Amino acid sequence: MTAAGVQSSPSGAVPAPAAAWPAVAWLRLARLYAVSRRVPAALGLLAALGCLLWAALYWRWNIAGGPAAQQFFSLAIETGAAAVIAVTTYGPFGEPERATGRWLPWLRLAAALALTAAAFGALAAGATGGTLPGGTLALLRDLAGLTGTGLLAAAVLGGAFGWAGPMAYLLITETALSGAPATPWVWPARPPHDLGAALCASAVFAAGIVAVTVLGARDPGRR
Amino acid sequence: MTATTDAPVRPRPSSAARAVPLTAARLLRIELRHSPMPWILPLIAALFWFDSYRPSISQPPIWVLRTFWNMGQGHTIVDFGPFVAGMAAWIGSRDGRRGTSDLVTATARPRWLAQLVTWAAAAIWAVGGYLVFVGVMFGVYAHQGLGGAPPWWWVPVGTAAVAAFSAAGFAAGVFFPSRFAAPLAAFGAFVVMMLSSQTGFTATSGWALILPTNSNGNYEAVSGVFYRYLPDLPIARVMFLAGIAVAVLGLLGLPSGAGGPGLRRAAAVVTLAGVAAAGTAIGLAGTAWRGPYGIVIPALHDAANDQPVRYTPVCGHAAGTPVCMNPAYRRYLPDVTAALRPLLAEMAGLPGAPARATQVPGTYTSSEGEANPVVTISGRPPVLRVPLDALATLPGYTGFTGAPETEALFADQLRALSVHAFVGAGNGTGAPAQQAVQAALLLRVGVPFAVQANVMDAGNGPGPPPPPTTGPVYAAARRLAALPPAARHAWLAAHLGALRSGHLTLAQLP
Repeated sequence: MTAAGVQSSPSGAVPAPAAAWPAVAWLRLARLYAVSRRVPAALGLLAALGCLLWAALYWRWNIAGGPAAQQFFSLAIETGAAAVIAVTTYGPFGEPERATGRWLPWLRLAAALALTAAAFGALAAGATGGTLPGGTLALLRDLAGLTGTGLLAAAVLGGAFGWAGPMAYLLITETALSGAPATPWVWPARPPHDLGAALCASAVFAAGIVAVTVLGARDPGRR
Repeated sequence: MTATTDAPVRPRPSSAARAVPLTAARLLRIELRHSPMPWILPLIAALFWFDSYRPSISQPPIWVLRTFWNMGQGHTIVDFGPFVAGMAAWIGSRDGRRGTSDLVTATARPRWLAQLVTWAAAAIWAVGGYLVFVGVMFGVYAHQGLGGAPPWWWVPVGTAAVAAFSAAGFAAGVFFPSRFAAPLAAFGAFVVMMLSSQTGFTATSGWALILPTNSNGNYEAVSGVFYRYLPDLPIARVMFLAGIAVAVLGLLGLPSGAGGPGLRRAAAVVTLAGVAAAGTAIGLAGTAWRGPYGIVIPALHDAANDQPVRYTPVCGHAAGTPVCMNPAYRRYLPDVTAALRPLLAEMAGLPGAPARATQVPGTYTSSEGEANPVVTISGRPPVLRVPLDALATLPGYTGFTGAPETEALFADQLRALSVHAFVGAGNGTGAPAQQAVQAALLLRVGVPFAVQANVMDAGNGPGPPPPPTTGPVYAAARRLAALPPAARHAWLAAHLGALRSGHLTLAQLP
């Protein structure tokens, strides 16, 4: 038995769909990537956090105390959203995926940006339940910065532990807020139009995006 | 072939009985080696330093004051709880995420016991980390020579809280095996801790006392200095937190795949026992009442803990008058004697002038660490009794003030409160004549009129501040202060009795 005669397709064979429709192939790749990162579940959780923010503002859940207490619920919910985004960077395939997926960095970038945008949309919708401290601008700044801490933590600790970054930042912020910090690195404590705070939050977000895009989350294969 | 019914029953090899705990120990060793919980400890260590230790060093060097933030208000638990819960959730979701639940369920070891071993390994790391971090912090405090006694009872509370968070997170991971279990467990734990803090700030009685972040009425500046820390509430809190941990771990044994019927029944009993313990603890907290020096739970109270702490006072002299203090406040003795020196010199020889000054414990309200700094003069011979712990102006950093309190402010307030007691003004501002004499005496000892109004109110002084430094009161005060010392002394000696009884009017002042 030889392979002679199989170099060409038999008559009547249909070409592969992916080859015929690159856009479909792209969509399929994106869908598979999203499923592997549990993006649909993340979108559901982000929507749930948006509802939680709406409920917190509508029923005016508040805790006693100063600025830290007044911002607590909104900031905690933004932190939860950032933690969810960070955890989606966890990939179960490890080395094989990195070795074969040349589009992987773009998929990581797209997923992180899309989820951040979705989180902002969900939380902005939730903010219609009442008066959000700092308004939508502060929400965007704080969410971006917190997401940056999560993505950085994912790059350093691993995607599964990316949530630790926003949680740690929230704890630091809650402590720092009680002392009226002047540093822009505690951006939730600054006014919404504070340029330094916006730059710091943007820088952290950019660093997180770059780290996750280029490096990806730390290899989880050993865990 | 016959049945060997007459054959003796073969005894169970003794080695088999020994093998069960040995196998469990081996399993625990494996889980300890593979648990990812240690990876989060460096991050917790950094947060522990930032959130628990760093703010505490701005407190006066007394154990109860320095640990008020991190132990009394439970910030060490806030630092650990969310992260431990998140990591435990990740560990608990391991089999579910990897799709190996069926595989491990079919092994010889019951699923529930294997899960308990996995949780135990995670909890050992977490609780061990907590004890090490708190131990290091206490060691640093001890090296700094803090006065008073450490709040030992709050360490088991924190330990039980960390164990409870690890159990709750682990259960969340087992029942909801997803990559999102960890962040959601951490998020939930953080919200729970913040809500607990909120309730702890406001609730001064009832069930809310069970919350480990609630310091109302049970973590006052006299604890560990004049009186023991009352262990009633910490015992109830340990019961509550341990009950939660046990109940949650028992829940893991209820599903059908957790083990045989006997084991599941045992898990049900464990769950009920945990719920009962937590519920009993809440009930006990509901019976608590505020004793003179802490929260008393009648069912847990030991009267021996009401005894004051014995100590040998440290003494100095101010204008020939002994000034004695609790050794925990030793470092403030020079400040106190310096503050009282001109005042006691001015009072010397007058009726009711203190023959001695001594530190006494403050009397605290039911709210969080607040006391009314009422200085009194009583007894025969008269003794000036100063509740130093109730003064918010101790020199140096006190509380979360942005700048340190100055010796001058402390001296001014101590003089003002002492003169207030000397003229018999009581808890209010006093009669106009008493206000005038008080203002004159304070002016003589270096507290200007303009400052007097502020220092009387500094740190919750007695009653509202005196009126502005104009009007008949200050006019009379100026006249009295302008008298020659001998004349003023003679007038005071003749009229102090009438002044203290409130019978003297402004017109009768010289």
